Amino acid sequence: MSRRPFIILFLIGFALFSMVVTTTIGVADISSIDVFKIIISKIPGLTFLIEQDWPSTWDTIILQMRMPRVALGFIVGASLSIAGAAFQGLLRNPLADPYTIGVSSGAALGATIAMFLQTSLNMTFQIGIPFFAFLGAIIALAFVYNLARVGNTVPVVTLLLAGVVISSFLSAVISLLMLLAGEHIRGIYFWLVGGLSLRNWSHVLMILPYIIAGSVAIMFWSRDLNVILLGEEEAANLGIEVEKVKKIMLVAASLITGAVVSVSGMIGFVGLIIPHTVRMIVGPDHRILIPTSALFGGIYLIWIDSLARTVMAPVEVPVGIITAFLGAPFFIYLLRSKRKDFRF
Amino acid sequence: MYVNLKVHDLSFTYQSLPVLSGVNFEVKKGDVLGIIGPNGSGKSTLLKNINALLKPLKGSVMLEGDNIFKMSRQKIAQSMAVVPQDTSIGFNFSVYEAVMMGRVPHLGRFQKEGEDDRTVVKESMEVTNCWSFKDRSVMELSGGERQRVILARALAQEPEIILLDEPTAFLDISYQTEIFDLIKELNIGKNLTVIAVLHDLNLAAQYCDHLILLNKGEIYKIGTPDEVITVDNIQEVYGTKVIISKHPVSKTPYVSLLPRIQDKFVKAISRKIHIIGGGGSASSLMEELFFQGMQLTAGVLNVGDKDWETAKNLGIGCTEELPFSFLSGEKHGENLEMIKNSDSVILTNTPFGRGNLKNLEAALFAVEKNFPVYIYEGFDVRLRDYTGGEAADIFQKLKDKGAREIANKSELLAIIKDKND
Repeated sequence: MSRRPFIILFLIGFALFSMVVTTTIGVADISSIDVFKIIISKIPGLTFLIEQDWPSTWDTIILQMRMPRVALGFIVGASLSIAGAAFQGLLRNPLADPYTIGVSSGAALGATIAMFLQTSLNMTFQIGIPFFAFLGAIIALAFVYNLARVGNTVPVVTLLLAGVVISSFLSAVISLLMLLAGEHIRGIYFWLVGGLSLRNWSHVLMILPYIIAGSVAIMFWSRDLNVILLGEEEAANLGIEVEKVKKIMLVAASLITGAVVSVSGMIGFVGLIIPHTVRMIVGPDHRILIPTSALFGGIYLIWIDSLARTVMAPVEVPVGIITAFLGAPFFIYLLRSKRKDFRF
Repeated sequence: MYVNLKVHDLSFTYQSLPVLSGVNFEVKKGDVLGIIGPNGSGKSTLLKNINALLKPLKGSVMLEGDNIFKMSRQKIAQSMAVVPQDTSIGFNFSVYEAVMMGRVPHLGRFQKEGEDDRTVVKESMEVTNCWSFKDRSVMELSGGERQRVILARALAQEPEIILLDEPTAFLDISYQTEIFDLIKELNIGKNLTVIAVLHDLNLAAQYCDHLILLNKGEIYKIGTPDEVITVDNIQEVYGTKVIISKHPVSKTPYVSLLPRIQDKFVKAISRKIHIIGGGGSASSLMEELFFQGMQLTAGVLNVGDKDWETAKNLGIGCTEELPFSFLSGEKHGENLEMIKNSDSVILTNTPFGRGNLKNLEAALFAVEKNFPVYIYEGFDVRLRDYTGGEAADIFQKLKDKGAREIANKSELLAIIKDKND
């Protein structure tokens, strides 16, 4: 129990370190020292300490391209982990994550519809894309949940089946919309496979309110989530208003997923791997699991994104492809090692 | 003693099928109430209505004067805890963490567990003997250990009432007694009110102060175990024949099953036998004949008499008269009817006084109607004649008219079985 603050402090420190280091990684060769200098020079009050001895394009690269990207990467990784942990706890199902249960697909369809409307009708409602994604996520979740439910429980097998079915259907709809989108197909495609390239501060600001609202709600009810792990009836007997908490949690997790998907497309398996790994370290108590997963997930994704930027440089691999490469084997490992628990 | 919980006119339907109808009862503080009944009689449903997990169609449940359906879950959980049948906790909480969850109803949203909470949790775990494995994962526990942890968690809630839904259904007998002894201890020590759904009638009789026997969603009988667990009630509600004796130590009713298979084997030589006895003279014979598969009737027996009790516990039909009363003409008539419906009559060596002289006349009636009458263990009637010779006279007449004296039980059985009619 007393380890917990240290774990959190360590992860915060490591997160800051990772952000700085990953900011130095990129095609333009800018050293860590220079990155520090550029950042410090922009902090009000500290400007006088640093003498500008770098090309002004570096300012743009660091401040307008790399930093928002790293920030966004961190937010996306953290958010997907929070959503994953919440879904796993709520459905009492270790294989739940926004991607495997089809919520990401729902969000993607919502966002695609929004983008499609924008491009084909020449409308602009940039701020509305996360909202459309959120609607898509909620609708997909409602379908999957009701399909998968057997009595009062959501067994792993039916949940995965329902997730696959809904995902495939939604993907088909997305593909159809992409075909109809004509020349914009490439843009939608690159967004969809999950990438963080060409994202700027406006994207960060666009999704931040949704993510803060969703995360605060999940943290607020995190103790209830612990009790719900014992079973819904048990939780009710321990004084939890189960139906209310479930609805709040599902909406909050979908809100987060919708927001994330609307800027970064479908980045799979982060919400599965991270809470799982973190649970092995800190245990299943959501009050510690959720913040730890958030930090862990954020750190994980900025490093994965750095890999995506450099592994095939100058070509950039969409980060969703790498997370899938790493996540799918982990998923298979979980399926096989815990086969007994899942009554296959 | 004040009323802890009051259930008034409770009816519940599931998909328009009535599950409970018109259930009324009260539970007093410190009572142990058992709910028994066959599968599908609505036991668990009743329990779930009591703790407001299910909303009834009509009726109310009052918990210390408050309508439970208007209380928040948290408020309910502060005074009512539940121990379910079996629980699987799918995530890796430690035993201590799992028990600490029992404190949730008493904590504010962001309130951390304090010293008081830790004390309560430690006490609950010590009482239930699970403090020694507090750091183990709940997933590694055996069934008995897990049930103790769940009980500890329920106690950590510091409830007024504890609800148990067949808490030992999946446990072997040593754990069953362990859990129930513990519950009884808490009931006595902390004046905890207990409401338990139970499958095992003997467990229910042994540990409960009162029982509710449910049949098809209605209360068939409510009362003490002695009042509820009777051959007739069990036969009526469960549709199965049992015999009831006394638990050798606790003296509570003890139910034994009668395998049907026995009926099949002995049917061929089953006879209708009417027994005239009293004062315990017929008890062992009744038991023997009953187990041989004979169809028995008895009469007239005074209520409370040893033979009457045996007849009741075996489920034997009998004509009964009020305790220590003269046999009335009406009962005598009923007795004669039973004799007419039997194949043979056995008279045992009960003492005869004015009160039961009519029983002897009934035997005489049987002989005169050419029924085979056997006098079992008929030692000298003069030694047990308290009528001034009247009984002895009738006895003599009986023997003169062909009643056979047989002193040996196996001989009697052989004769009854051999007899063709």
